[in-house]
Amino acid sequence: MAEASDRPEGSKGWFWTGITIVYALIVLFPIYWMATMMVKPNDAMFARPTQWLFTPTLEHFSYVLDQGFHWYLLTSFALCSVSTALVVIIGTPAAYAFARFEMRGKDDLFLFILGSRMAPPVCLVIPFYLIFAKVGLLDTFTGLTLAYMTFNLSFYIWVLRSFCRDLPVELEEAAALEGWSRLQIFRRVVFPLLRNGIVATAVLCFIFAWNEFLFAFMLGGKAMQTLPVSIPKLITAQGVRWGEMAVVGMTALLPVLAVVFVLQRHIVRGLTLGAVKG
Amino acid sequence: MASASEPIPAADTAAKMLPRERSWYPYLLIAPSMLMLVVVSLIPFLYTIYLSFHAAKFGRVTDFIGFDNYAVLLADARFWNSISIAATFVFIAVPIEFMLGLIGALVLNQNVRGRSILIPLLFMPAMMAPIVVGLLWKIMLAGSWGFLSYNVLERFDILPGTSVFASPDYALYALIFVDIWQWTPFMMLAFFAGLQALPLGPYRAAAVDGANSLQMFTHITLPMMTPLLAVIGLLRFIDAFKVFDTIYILTGGGPGTSTETPSILANKMTFEFWNIGEASALAVLVWIAFFAFCSVFYQIAKKRLNAF
Amino acid sequence: MKRLHRCFAAALAASTVLLAPLAPARAQDSFYAEAAKPYKGTTIRVLDEITPLQETLSKIIPEFEKETGIKVEWELLNHFEVINKGQADMLSGRGYYDAIMLHGFQLGPMISAGAIMPLNDLVANPKLSNPNLGTSDFIQNPFKTAAFVGDKQYSFINWNYNQIYWTRADLLGNADEKAAFKAKYGYDLAPAETMEQMRDIAQFFTRKKGEKLAGKPLESDFYGIVLEGIKGGSTFPTLWNNFVKNYGGNLIDAEGRPTFDTPETVAALKMWRELWTYAPPGIAEYSLVDVPTVMGNGIAAQSIAWSDFVLGVDKKGVSPYAGQFVYGPIPIKAGSKERFAEAEPSVTVISAASKNPEPTFIFLQWLADRKQQDKLIALGEGGVPIRESSWALPAITGAANKTLYTAMKSTLDVAEAKPKMPKFYEIYDVMSGIAQEVGLGKLSPEEGAKKGQAELLKLCTKCLL
Repeated sequence: MAEASDRPEGSKGWFWTGITIVYALIVLFPIYWMATMMVKPNDAMFARPTQWLFTPTLEHFSYVLDQGFHWYLLTSFALCSVSTALVVIIGTPAAYAFARFEMRGKDDLFLFILGSRMAPPVCLVIPFYLIFAKVGLLDTFTGLTLAYMTFNLSFYIWVLRSFCRDLPVELEEAAALEGWSRLQIFRRVVFPLLRNGIVATAVLCFIFAWNEFLFAFMLGGKAMQTLPVSIPKLITAQGVRWGEMAVVGMTALLPVLAVVFVLQRHIVRGLTLGAVKG
Repeated sequence: MASASEPIPAADTAAKMLPRERSWYPYLLIAPSMLMLVVVSLIPFLYTIYLSFHAAKFGRVTDFIGFDNYAVLLADARFWNSISIAATFVFIAVPIEFMLGLIGALVLNQNVRGRSILIPLLFMPAMMAPIVVGLLWKIMLAGSWGFLSYNVLERFDILPGTSVFASPDYALYALIFVDIWQWTPFMMLAFFAGLQALPLGPYRAAAVDGANSLQMFTHITLPMMTPLLAVIGLLRFIDAFKVFDTIYILTGGGPGTSTETPSILANKMTFEFWNIGEASALAVLVWIAFFAFCSVFYQIAKKRLNAF
Repeated sequence: MKRLHRCFAAALAASTVLLAPLAPARAQDSFYAEAAKPYKGTTIRVLDEITPLQETLSKIIPEFEKETGIKVEWELLNHFEVINKGQADMLSGRGYYDAIMLHGFQLGPMISAGAIMPLNDLVANPKLSNPNLGTSDFIQNPFKTAAFVGDKQYSFINWNYNQIYWTRADLLGNADEKAAFKAKYGYDLAPAETMEQMRDIAQFFTRKKGEKLAGKPLESDFYGIVLEGIKGGSTFPTLWNNFVKNYGGNLIDAEGRPTFDTPETVAALKMWRELWTYAPPGIAEYSLVDVPTVMGNGIAAQSIAWSDFVLGVDKKGVSPYAGQFVYGPIPIKAGSKERFAEAEPSVTVISAASKNPEPTFIFLQWLADRKQQDKLIALGEGGVPIRESSWALPAITGAANKTLYTAMKSTLDVAEAKPKMPKFYEIYDVMSGIAQEVGLGKLSPEEGAKKGQAELLKLCTKCLL
């Protein structure tokens, strides 16, 4: 990371670092607090005055396992993996094509893609439910995979296209002059250079699917329960199980944590739809 | 859409140098994706338009009734209430996130150390599942037992006797607060990335001319950053307008209708009242609005920022 | 050989006929087994709500599968999900579920949408209909109002959800508190029988942190009452049936015309508002699940709550105050003759889109059968009866929290399913918003009554099916 300005402020660096750290601590405190609830006994959960120290317990973990929440984790994982893989397979060529070639009505097609990414999910869930009910796709793996395409495929094409445009076109031209076929150029020249972009964008797609609630709630069911949708199950007749909710919530956070450390700056690029190169 | 007077993006110039004899090739590449998007995006959209012109109470699609659903919706005070709630939400939350994000980015740009650890940590709120965000803030701010309600609000006698999410006066602001918590770090990091990408030349020249940092900011940083700020601001604006999960979990649109955004109202019309026709009309209107925003976003991003 | 076989079969048949009157229980068993024969191996899917009652019922379901050879996929979801998903399934015509549990209030919209299969033909079919079901043993008020519309029958009765008054014996029995209460209000401290007493007790016990409660200093604020106040849920039904009706008002009249704007309603709303001032600040966030939890945590003196949830909280190991709770009938307005109380008789109906109505019908009868009901109450060590005969069961007569059952019975005696209003959800949604706004003091009781009436009229002038 090169400094954008070489204004003489290096000496004050620690002051600004301090401010940033304090800000980060404030922002992250609620997450820390929820993390402690995973091992907090019920009587200390909302004790007044707030109980900072307590004997940790594993009862929330064992309840969550007893109730079979690991299956929801598995469902989430399978669903997100498959839908992301599908996005990569059909989206990569499209992103490449949009970046490299001229097509009639390209701008309009591209705006259509952006529109699919931007449409509020609430508007989509109505027709999805009614159509899926008719064709028997409710509560199926296929159904949810399709539903996730609306936001993830368009997102993927849009962002990966900006990665494609970073690639120097000269390499492809040189390869074309060598007489390589289109497929060879794509496989041996484009793909290796694009790999990081593909991984970064795909991982973001995975996270969007992982976090998704409304589609999974309305279009899923007994067979297709993802982790976010399983959380309301912890509102039981004996009250809300907060410790267990913390366990499930933190489990849902884990892949996100891993991703933010691995992807770092690519996240900016993803979340700004490629507007910032990161 | 591109007219001759505009600069031609570099990649398009380059693409022209590639062999063009097989012009079907790009269409072949985009075909699977476009087919998929037609199925998952265009068909549901067209179906919604179809529904919006029919009587469809309780999901039974019956007569074609023209614009009746739209007329009923536009005459409904609740619809306008939801628009004004969303407008309040967006016009308070986004500018605050924007300003705090910009300030944060400038701070981060001041030789802050340990960025490689701080930056990923600050991304966490933006990457969390909205349902977990809802849960988190319920734990923090709920009624008499929330962590902050007890340790901050009650201790310092702020808003005595109220529970923020349950109060018609404060619930919306509490949701705005949650949105600010979740998205300010993201704005900060996006702007920071933009600052990092600025060329150094103009700053060197200004330093030679003896400009101070405020002058540099207003005369160099701000003008160069404007398109990026606009694009990111607009993107956040669009996303904030459609927030659903956190509101659904934290207040469900209540108390009364004080936090009922169009998304919450559409969901209620569909899955509670089963006024499918009217809900579809609402969806279509929202869609049109979004499409307008999207084209503005696209135009700015493409022409001013040359980003896409 | 062949003849011997036939002889044997005839003897067997004769003995069954002869033994039948002597062993009624066995005869009933064989009815379901016999009726189910053509449907052996069929799978039916049933959606129900998760409360302590259904958790117990889950243990009995496998016996039906054994008895009849019909497989039951029995799915339990929480209150909000069961409404959301169940209705979506029926209204979209998907028909994934053969039978779905509906609360009484859902019946109006669902019947008007034609989503429920009427049972008349099935009931009239001697091959399917159990003559010994004993529908006259059902607690009649809730059964009649929930299961029938005109001459059509849509269900039997499955769950008699009902609300009761709930308070703390340890506080109300404390000598110091009793003396102080008597000095202040001029009558003896006891579980409230009238709304006015309930208000006095609420006022009396609302105390700040540091003040004393039953002799001990409070570590946190203590509240006189806790009620459900969330948007949606049963906030509005609570207000409507326990308050508005006991004050002589109503939502609609017998013809279905809105009548919310009356002095009676205003008086009820005044009481409602006053009680909210003695409730925890989070009351507008409390759902029907939170209210019993708050009572169980011991931060409030009284409540009006769903009795089935009480069963889950008033248990050793769940609440530290278990055993110290005492229950009573829903308080009524002082001097009022007629009694009203909120109840939600709930039924399991056959979806109009079901492909297996016959085996599902057999299952519904089996559920409502006395044998299963007796077992349900025995296994649950109590429960919420749907049959009059259940009140005499040892699990209820010998229950530790006996007052709970007197309270329940008093509510069930007057329990009625909600009037069948096609626009119930719209009404419900706007009225629960008004209930919140009045409770929080955003609207005065007068304004609340006026606004409620105006909103009702916007939705319907004749609100009944």
